[in-house]
Amino acid sequence: MKKKIFILISAITVFTSCGDQLDVKPFNTIDSGTGTGTSKDIEALIVGAYTFLGDGDVYGGNMQRDAELIGDDGEIFWDGTFTDPAEIWDNAMLITNGQAEATWLDCYRVINICNTVLANLSVVTADKVDRIEGEAKFIRGVMYFELVRVYARTWTDPSGTPATNPGVPIVLEPSTTALVDRSSVAEVYTQVISDLQDAKTLLPITNSFFATTYAASSILSRVYMMQQDYANAALEADIVIGSGEFGLLSDYADNFNNSANVFSSRSNNDNATSEDIFALQVTSQSGINNMNTFFSTTGRGDIYIEPAHFVLYEAGDDRLNLFYDGERTGKWENQFGNVNIIRLAEMYLTRAEANLEAGSTVGDTPLNDINTIRNRVGLADLGSVTIADILNERHLELAFEGHQIHDLKRTGRSVGALAFNAPKLIFPIPSREIIINPDMEQNEDY
Amino acid sequence: MKKNLLAMCVMLLFFSGQVFGQERVITGKVTSQDDGTSVPGVNLLVKGTSTGTASDSDGNYSIAVSGDNAVLVFSFIGYKTVEVSVGTRSVVDVQIATDITQLSEVVVTGYGTQLKQDLTGNIAKVSGTEVQGIPVPTFEQAIQGRAAGVFVEAGNGKLGQGIKIRIRGSSSVSAGNQPLYVIDGIPITSGSQASVGGATNPLADLNSNDIESIEILKDASAAAIYGSRAANGVVLISTKRGKSGKTNFNLNYLTGFSKPTNHVEWLNTAEYVELFTEARAATGAVSLTSFTNRLNRFGADPANLTSSGTGVPHESWAVPGAPGYIDTKWDNLAFQEAQVNQLDFSASGGTDKTKFFTSLTWGDQDGILIGNRFQKIGGRINVDHQATEKLSLGINFSLARTVNYRLADDNAFSTPLQMVALGPMTPPVDPRSELISGALNPVTGLPNTNFPQYYNPLIDVAYNDRVTTVFRNFGTLYGNYKIIEGLTFRTEFGFDLLNQHEDRYFATQSSRNSGAPNGEANDIWTQVFNYTTNNFFQYSKSFDVHALDVVAGMSFQKSNTDFGSVTGQQFASDSYKKVISAASITAGSSTETGFAFASYFGRANYKFNNKYLVSLSGRVDGSSRFGPDNQYGFFPAASVGWILTEESFLADNNILEFLKLRASYGLTGNAEIGNFPWQGLYSGDGGYAAVPGQRPSQIENRDLRWEQTAQTDIGVDFGIFNSRITGEIDYYIKKTSDLLLAVNLVGSAGVARTQIQNVGDLENKGFEFVLNTENLVGAFKWNTSFNIANNKNEITNLDGQVIEGSFLSRAIEGEPIGIFFGPKYAGVDPANGDALYFTRDINNDLITTNDPNLAELVKIGDPNPEIIWGMTNNFSYKGIDLSILFMGVSGNDVYNGGGKFMSANGDFYDNQTRDQLNRWQNPGDITNVPQARLFGGNGIAESSRYISDGSYVRLKTLTLGYNLPQSLISKASLTKMRIYVSGQNLLTITDYKLWDPEVNADSFESNITQGTDFYSAPQPKTITFGINIGF
Repeated sequence: MKKKIFILISAITVFTSCGDQLDVKPFNTIDSGTGTGTSKDIEALIVGAYTFLGDGDVYGGNMQRDAELIGDDGEIFWDGTFTDPAEIWDNAMLITNGQAEATWLDCYRVINICNTVLANLSVVTADKVDRIEGEAKFIRGVMYFELVRVYARTWTDPSGTPATNPGVPIVLEPSTTALVDRSSVAEVYTQVISDLQDAKTLLPITNSFFATTYAASSILSRVYMMQQDYANAALEADIVIGSGEFGLLSDYADNFNNSANVFSSRSNNDNATSEDIFALQVTSQSGINNMNTFFSTTGRGDIYIEPAHFVLYEAGDDRLNLFYDGERTGKWENQFGNVNIIRLAEMYLTRAEANLEAGSTVGDTPLNDINTIRNRVGLADLGSVTIADILNERHLELAFEGHQIHDLKRTGRSVGALAFNAPKLIFPIPSREIIINPDMEQNEDY
Repeated sequence: MKKNLLAMCVMLLFFSGQVFGQERVITGKVTSQDDGTSVPGVNLLVKGTSTGTASDSDGNYSIAVSGDNAVLVFSFIGYKTVEVSVGTRSVVDVQIATDITQLSEVVVTGYGTQLKQDLTGNIAKVSGTEVQGIPVPTFEQAIQGRAAGVFVEAGNGKLGQGIKIRIRGSSSVSAGNQPLYVIDGIPITSGSQASVGGATNPLADLNSNDIESIEILKDASAAAIYGSRAANGVVLISTKRGKSGKTNFNLNYLTGFSKPTNHVEWLNTAEYVELFTEARAATGAVSLTSFTNRLNRFGADPANLTSSGTGVPHESWAVPGAPGYIDTKWDNLAFQEAQVNQLDFSASGGTDKTKFFTSLTWGDQDGILIGNRFQKIGGRINVDHQATEKLSLGINFSLARTVNYRLADDNAFSTPLQMVALGPMTPPVDPRSELISGALNPVTGLPNTNFPQYYNPLIDVAYNDRVTTVFRNFGTLYGNYKIIEGLTFRTEFGFDLLNQHEDRYFATQSSRNSGAPNGEANDIWTQVFNYTTNNFFQYSKSFDVHALDVVAGMSFQKSNTDFGSVTGQQFASDSYKKVISAASITAGSSTETGFAFASYFGRANYKFNNKYLVSLSGRVDGSSRFGPDNQYGFFPAASVGWILTEESFLADNNILEFLKLRASYGLTGNAEIGNFPWQGLYSGDGGYAAVPGQRPSQIENRDLRWEQTAQTDIGVDFGIFNSRITGEIDYYIKKTSDLLLAVNLVGSAGVARTQIQNVGDLENKGFEFVLNTENLVGAFKWNTSFNIANNKNEITNLDGQVIEGSFLSRAIEGEPIGIFFGPKYAGVDPANGDALYFTRDINNDLITTNDPNLAELVKIGDPNPEIIWGMTNNFSYKGIDLSILFMGVSGNDVYNGGGKFMSANGDFYDNQTRDQLNRWQNPGDITNVPQARLFGGNGIAESSRYISDGSYVRLKTLTLGYNLPQSLISKASLTKMRIYVSGQNLLTITDYKLWDPEVNADSFESNITQGTDFYSAPQPKTITFGINIGF
């Protein structure tokens, strides 16, 4: 009988108190409450914003690739099986285009990290808080700028006005599932300029390979160029050039295929080259270079350069030497190479164009700026310069770096038969967003 | 102790009665009619008396009878009862026959067993013999067509891949839809552990030959004892156990070969040139020179190595019949003649106290796709021991090692079947390098980057490795203690240890695909330790007309998964394949995850007067997957049965032997949503150029709770003509509510695409019908087993959401899960060759448009089958037996995700299915294939153009065997020798045009993406020859 009681008791013991065992905590992730407690947490969070800014669908390459594809008129050839980029290249995007969805979602992911940082600045130590706020606003401003350029009518579109044309939803709160409708193009630009101006003020002069005040000024110059606000564009470009922090490399090719430097100190400039104002860092273990994936034979090599591009160069242009196989650009040969976002050369070209348009000579004359760019690639000085000269120089200097469609749109140039403001040159709002929020307005033609 | 004394007195009296009565002793041996082996434990009763005994471990018995009119009754569970008149004999040997179709069959239920005739729930049983000797890596493939309402689908013809099982339809949109698998009482790890590539199947680690029976719990009454795990049904697997008596040895060897069940027709070189020449001219997207150079390049023109080409057509494609003309049949090169060899050995036996079963298996099977191979080696020992009269204990222990030589996924250029996209003028071996086309450009010394058209899968198979090795160990220890008569306590502890090594190497030659110019190695280890303890009381008691059977207990399960991987690039040569030789370590990771379930359960079965049956069960389940507010769920079920044939008004009829009505209702749950779905989470994966970073990765949902399925089942079991005809009819309705749905989050939330929320309802309802008939008995036997089921799935509420799968697969309110939703193809405009789609004009009238963006989006197909059925016919005559299994699926559609590439009327350079030759050419042409336009995007939008009917009927298994006569083999001291030939998938009848309608591409398969073809290989047609020896 004792044995029976013993068995019964042990059975009952086994029966009870397994409940505690149900408290299994995640191993690879942490509770969100513990992610924002200290200054160090927020410092890591802002680094996360760079990482996802460098996502393949954002500045890791697809955004720049798509700017080249959608704005192409016979200079490149899409030869891949992925249908999303093929539709973009054909200017025949379907509303279900997967890239339209990925770009949207991944840009807002970056924005949300920035919003989370900005909502938790109170825990950041005083010596870092300006920099971190500046970085968050820089990245958020960049993302809204890209979103409004890709998903909305351009600033100068004569159909409607920036104040009436729908832009993109503006969300400034962290991780909110609220359904937000599209703000106007003007409102988005206001947000972009506000963020970037704040960033410009808050960010330091050097910041390793992270954003600096000059990165903010550079993006601001792009924003003003999109608005044809040439005076401000020239001003911002001149701030960067005049800073003396950057210099043109003697060899054009040295700009490309550089791997990330090792992080040293925020007081150093750890960009891969002195010409880099801002680049997404790629190492063999983090980051991705989708420009390599699509342009290079070391990747998928889906994009060929057509003869129509080569005829644009003058004889002796050193930039021609960067092409290979007679049909490939050599800018993106390193699978683990950084993705250049802003190079100093762009600032010269922007200052030249903006000054010429504005009739000013902020910093230097347009002719001198253009000749600076030409001399570096072994071309002789021009005696005089026109807007067409500058745009051509810009096209060749910045070719296959993600400027194509934006430069065409802001200067009112068409893409083949499509006018610069054709709805087919604008991405559709992803169909999933319309399903989730039926009040969200779809773009024309989709 | 008093009771024991009493028993001894009774025994003494009994024996003394024998000694002193007018009686004689009869002896004999009980053997099995099937294989002649002795049968221990058979109950004997002298009819009309209470005198009884049982056969001993060698099947021998002795019993006392009086007079010459005595009749002995031999009965044993699983065998037909035999009555023998003794007459004047003193030795009576008896052969008894197995009785598997009888209602007296014992069925394994959760935490117990029950006679089939007493069941009030719906359980389908498949006997182990039905899944044995079939050359498939995993047993689920062998039950296809054998159980009503159980849909089994292999996604493609690769070995060891995930198998889709749906029991009575899909009951969830985002959570798991696969059943719970329980081996000998222990839930096992059944989900794919593949960290790269398509899903693999952990059930392939189980040796099918160890299986005694498979019970599939389908309705709530049967399954609710597994509570939160049971909404998708439960598959109980019982392994073989020893019987006391002589040790039986069994040896089985089979060998054979496999071929694809089907090939697809592609354009030959002349047709390709014709179609694409026309396609280029139609659009002018590329110049004739560029086009010619392109074809030259495909045709391995030597001039193409150094420049883009001469523009002069090359003989490889330009001159049919010329010496250099090439016409490669890539569809054939993707396949191989595959060998299969399998050797199994088992021994079982024991004494009254200790019984054992032990087995060894070795198998080596090639896939029909080149480079695919699956090897298995394993062993098992099951021991049962009666320690004392009250205490029994036992152990099950198995070890297996499986090696899967895997292939790239269906959507990869590197998967063998994607070679059909290569132009027919491309030679498999490049005459310029005499290596596989693409392996080497003799000018650069590097792999070709633009020849052939795509990366050549032949390179992948020749140079790369994708080997997954799994070590699997199932172990269970149990103790059973009889507390008092009728009441036992059982404790079980079982574990399932899965150790997986994924070892991959991508050679220099594959750099075009891998992106690693000097090789890449990838080494991944996964370990899953999953243990369960079950502790429960069983009480069974019969008194008068009452019979009560009660189970109550608890169960606790915990599973932990550890994962580690490292990737390195830059190898000195491809002779080095391990990461140690990598000059650059490019990636590394380690992760861990886990879950726990704590459960308390109880069940009472009550039978009154052998005709009224009631069963009540309940389970409380707690899971680590839900937050503290909603950690526990309660899952009750109730069922009733009424055996009408026990009623007096039916007792006298001679036709209807058995008739039972039954009904059940209960709740089951689903928690298969991954771990930690309710928590707000941050991930530390935001590191940037060696600077640490993090990000928000999941938004909290504290309200998250179980997904719940309420199922009603009404059924009839019947047996007529002395059980020559038996059957079951069931109707069920399964309503799932509080779906664990991956709800699309608004993009601007910026954390994750989706969040798991309890949103929505869905419903499955259907009929099941099972009929078993013994058509001919006697020397020539013929029996038929037929099952058919229909299921109708409908998502009744999704809160207005549309959940997208791949391509056009959607979950939409008011429709079955995974319907194809998109533009409806309207054929070709006879005037201009444009592809047309249906849309609505301003008056809502149906019109057509050539712009797929403007097409109306409608339901254009449904991947869920309406009807699934299977029919087995067994014939036997003397030693010859023949078994034929036909199965079929109908009413489902298949979407060809590769259609826009392979049947795209020459939109791109991919070789085209031959039906594209029917393209529109001239105004007035009536055809369904639009005008060929290179880069024209004419008709290649995802639409109903790429949907086909996926119904099929298949001769799944045909086995012809011959048992050599006893007289012959007994001379060799054998008890059994059977030779057989067996065929799998010998015949497939379908209208489907690609390889195989039984398809779901591994790279896309999900709950929603079903029935999608993407260069997916067909099922193998396998013929094997086998020999089975018992001694």
